[in-house]
Amino acid sequence: MNTIPMEYYLLISAFMFSVGVTGVLIRRNAIVVFMCIELMLNSANLALVTFSSFLGDPAGQVFVFFVMTVAAAEAAVGLAIIIAIFRNKLTVNIDEINIFKW
Amino acid sequence: MILEYILFAILGLVAVVTSVAMITRPSPVMSAIFLVLNFFALAGLYLLLNAQFIAVVQVIVYAGAIMVLFLFVLMLLNTDSEHAILKEKRKLKFIGIFIAVLVFIQIGYIVFYSAPSDSVTKEIAESINAGKIETIGTELYTTYVLPFLASGFLLLGATIGAIVLAMKKFE
Amino acid sequence: MINEILNSITFIYPELAVSIFLLIIVLVDLVFHKDKKYIPYISLAGLVITGILVLNQIGITHFAFVPQLSAVKKYGMMTIDPFGSYFKLLVVVTSILIIFFTIASEEVIDLKERLGEFHALIYGMILGMLVMISASDLILIYLSLELLSLSSYVLAGFLKLRERSSEASLKYVIYGSVSSGLMLFGISIIYGLTGSTNLYVINSLIQGPQINLFTLSFSSILMFVGIGYKISAAPFHFWTPDVYEGAPISITAYLSVASKAAGFALLIRFIQTGFTSFISEDGYWTLIAVFDWQALLIAISILTMTLGNFSALWQDNLKRMLAYSSIAHAGYILLGIAVLSNQGLIAVLIYFFVYMLMNIGAFYVVMLISNKTGSENIDDYDGLGAKAPFLGVALAIFLISLTGLPPTAGFIAKLYLFIALIDANMIVVAIIALLNTVVSLYYYVRVLKHMYLTKSEREQENITPSIGSLVYLLVLLIPILFFGIYFTPIVEFARSCVSLLGI
Repeated sequence: MNTIPMEYYLLISAFMFSVGVTGVLIRRNAIVVFMCIELMLNSANLALVTFSSFLGDPAGQVFVFFVMTVAAAEAAVGLAIIIAIFRNKLTVNIDEINIFKW
Repeated sequence: MILEYILFAILGLVAVVTSVAMITRPSPVMSAIFLVLNFFALAGLYLLLNAQFIAVVQVIVYAGAIMVLFLFVLMLLNTDSEHAILKEKRKLKFIGIFIAVLVFIQIGYIVFYSAPSDSVTKEIAESINAGKIETIGTELYTTYVLPFLASGFLLLGATIGAIVLAMKKFE
Repeated sequence: MINEILNSITFIYPELAVSIFLLIIVLVDLVFHKDKKYIPYISLAGLVITGILVLNQIGITHFAFVPQLSAVKKYGMMTIDPFGSYFKLLVVVTSILIIFFTIASEEVIDLKERLGEFHALIYGMILGMLVMISASDLILIYLSLELLSLSSYVLAGFLKLRERSSEASLKYVIYGSVSSGLMLFGISIIYGLTGSTNLYVINSLIQGPQINLFTLSFSSILMFVGIGYKISAAPFHFWTPDVYEGAPISITAYLSVASKAAGFALLIRFIQTGFTSFISEDGYWTLIAVFDWQALLIAISILTMTLGNFSALWQDNLKRMLAYSSIAHAGYILLGIAVLSNQGLIAVLIYFFVYMLMNIGAFYVVMLISNKTGSENIDDYDGLGAKAPFLGVALAIFLISLTGLPPTAGFIAKLYLFIALIDANMIVVAIIALLNTVVSLYYYVRVLKHMYLTKSEREQENITPSIGSLVYLLVLLIPILFFGIYFTPIVEFARSCVSLLGI
């Protein structure tokens, strides 16, 4: 089947996942933080599709389909919350937003 | 065969570079555009993996719908770039690089050993079959009919929630 | 296949009822948008019907949505078993209590126009929890977890005019998405290792010799991150105090009981179905030697209860204090799971029932007082014992029960937990838990001191609760006192509900 070993795909997935985690930790703009979360979800998707393709089992790709649904829903809710906050405070910087102690 | 390797190298490189560019660009709009590029590269990788349906959905749903939503909100709110913050907090940068390397080593190590225990198929036919829209559709409406319905309610809930939160006035 | 699906539908009647009523609420809200005061009663009716359907299911053990392939070994998308039914019943009863709670809460009454959406989202949460409790497939687990989370993100930020509320919501959504992303990556690794997403198949596959232990442990930990976030276990608890403080009180009470219960049900099912090789005669689970769940759970639970209890000491806001106290309680309950025996499971079931009564009760009193004073600060409780004798006594009983002192039901819950621990020879852990209980005594009694010993500087009118509130509190108080003395029925019921659909 594929001549490219599955480890290569998995390494790309792992790389994207770590970049996503780092982005969540270092970025201050709430919208960009959400984009980094999308990156994390996508890296998991890549791993799922890789496994699914190499196993010849459609379950993984069905799962990816559901993950995309969840990602869309999460993005919609997250952005709506950001808009609600922006109305109150005119900022999306998560350092300025915190009136709570972390 | 050599073509496959070349394509993989190009797409993989694009995916890696755009993901890094995405978290390092101070301007949120640039980040969003790099993320879209990243999603296109992923769609290409999915094609290499014989997952045609997912590749198409990746472009339509992720790049076409979700990222447009992100860009729309970015334009709407017109937020400043994080240039100042990233410059001010040099430490943050090094902490970031450190964390990234740490996480990557861990996950890379783990992923390398997570090859399926057995039953890795050598049959290309099976792999192609798994990615066909027909197979996925059948699975979706038979084995996974319950998650499918649940995802419908998930979208309903998200719609209600987004409208409640983003609507300006109710009176 | 179609026969299997139609046949399976008979086992998901509670979930179907919830879905139908969710749609009814949305439609009623659309059609009768002038008058929304009937919506709470519609959702109550729906919950009562759901409750009856769940009661009908108690005692049934069955797989639903069995895929065609599973000829060799039977497994399904969903598992209907007494354990699941117990937790479903708990969720439904909590929801009924919370709907009554919202009828009395001024914050929610002020919503007026948005009442329909409020109840629709609560139903979204209920649907997510019910599915999550009996899901035995990782895909379904992930989806139901997200359904529960998305609805609760919105509910936490529902009072969007209040700054705290939407900020709590943002914090909730960021933490939640990150931890569910981590969980998803864990799921993808598990799928890669075993080639299946069903817990029963995973169980039989990871018993094989060729599995990579390190990878499997890592993915188990990633899975635990997602669940630990839902039950607010220690390293993943940061969102809890802020969200609990910022959300409407009714939602805080709901999150602290129902969504935690569903999270624990998921954790127990994940460990029991996915990792147990057999259950011995005296009820101890023998786990497959791939990952030391017991060590992880003990470490996490000790960390959780210690952090929760010590942070609660300094809180002046009652809602925040109860948030930390609920973190500490999650720690105690985790210990019940860490025993890895049926006895520990019985203790968990009893604990959750009692915890539901006392925690909702405490939040209800806080809500009544904040209806009057507009804040939850501890100074507002000065002299409450004299001004509102009934509320004072009620809150005192709830807090004593939360501490775990006799003659309340909280004592029985802790007693069974400690018995389970000592039976399993986990003496040191039991002593740590006991010391934690002593610490918790301090901050619960501090509230009592403010109520009865401190004189209020401000002049305040007496707080007299309405008849409805009196009845509500009595409904919670009587079982707490009754089960504190005569606890056989609840113990027997828990014992009968302990079995999960076997390995």
